[in-house]
Amino acid sequence: MRLMLVSSIALFALCLTAAPGSAHHSFAGEFDVDKPIKLQGTITRVEWINPHAWIHMDVKKPDGTVESWAIEGGTPNTLFRRGITRDSVKAGMVINVDGYLARDGSKKANGRDITLPDGRKLFLSGGGANEQPGR
Amino acid sequence: MHHHCIRLIGLAAAAFVLCAPAALDAQSFKTSWGDPDLQGTWTNQTLTPLERPAEFAGKPVLTAEEARAYEARLRQQNNADIRTPGTRRDVTVAYNDAWWDRGERIVADRRTSLIVDPADGKIPALTPAAQKRAEAARAANAAIGDNPAAPEDLDVYSRCIIRSALPRLSTGYNNNYEIVQAPGYVAILQEQIHDTRIIPLDGRPHLAGTVRQWLGDSRGRWDGDTLVVETTNFTDEARGSTFRDATRNMVLVERFRRVDAETIDYQFTVTDPETWTRPWTVKMPWNKVDGLMYEYACHEGNYGLANTLRSARAAEKAAQQK
Repeated sequence: MRLMLVSSIALFALCLTAAPGSAHHSFAGEFDVDKPIKLQGTITRVEWINPHAWIHMDVKKPDGTVESWAIEGGTPNTLFRRGITRDSVKAGMVINVDGYLARDGSKKANGRDITLPDGRKLFLSGGGANEQPGR
Repeated sequence: MHHHCIRLIGLAAAAFVLCAPAALDAQSFKTSWGDPDLQGTWTNQTLTPLERPAEFAGKPVLTAEEARAYEARLRQQNNADIRTPGTRRDVTVAYNDAWWDRGERIVADRRTSLIVDPADGKIPALTPAAQKRAEAARAANAAIGDNPAAPEDLDVYSRCIIRSALPRLSTGYNNNYEIVQAPGYVAILQEQIHDTRIIPLDGRPHLAGTVRQWLGDSRGRWDGDTLVVETTNFTDEARGSTFRDATRNMVLVERFRRVDAETIDYQFTVTDPETWTRPWTVKMPWNKVDGLMYEYACHEGNYGLANTLRSARAAEKAAQQK
């Protein structure tokens, strides 16, 4: 039993280390693993650019002042193939961002998890964008 | 006699039904000037790993059932929506699964590795010199870590120069290629990073060895219905500019053959005696994509590069103040 538990943990650790591909550049060079951050704000503008899209948002602080944040995402090409366009994600939408703070101390974060206030994923993912059956 | 006739007619009809589509297909895959037609938009996306995993040692092909189970396991492993908060991996996976597009299937013939030669599905051993080179490169990259001193410390992909050296394998997203042909030329547009390989077919020699290019220098010819492309003149002048551990003297031979309306059989062989103890060969399909290629203009929006350099300077400053 104990052996099974140990091997399950080992297998789980193996799964974790099997990196599922990497982004265009190392996010570990840009964002700080020791500084997780959660933000809720209103989208002001989205830059649909490569290599990574950026979502700009206003975050209201407890004292009522507003801070502008920029959130890094992935390549917009993948979203376009899934039918998500600039009309799908617009200024005025309220989103939650759960990510990591930029290492340079600026008001940037990666959008490790971006959800709508009701908990749904911002970008509802289907199958692979290029997926065709039987391949 | 009568029965014989009916049987013969039946056989002939069956033969026609069986053979006719193939014959028609082969004929229709010709350009108006008579070359085999490879044109269209294709993806080389697959879940099949380059090398055969240890768990499949001695098992080159999976059963259909094993393949479905393996695909399900890989999809689960790859799912970027599964979080591991506070780990380096959680940062490097970077964003939700919607942004990723790694494919959901292994190759249709259910092989356990893209490598078909050597038969064990593994990259051949490195030569002693290549082992030393690879070790030095690893040490240099480890010394840079997350704190590059200058853009040149980062790899060619982060710098938006090329996605990676040829040959191209399946990656996390945008694994799309558009082939366009003209008499005497084949052009291959790669979605990442928006490069076009223009390949002459007129038998001209390679460029002089003093001319080195990010995607090398390609020359093509037809071998029956197969496009054979030989590429040389690679460069090693930037981090990540060679294919894996190879030197700039690697020779790449690619073979493209249209097998049906939906598929190109793509194979490549890499030869570099300064690196590997023998050549090795990969076979992977390029599957037809319905839809458009999108521009991947990388450099213009590469805020990540500047952010990374600023982060490295901030880390230096913080270390000095300690």
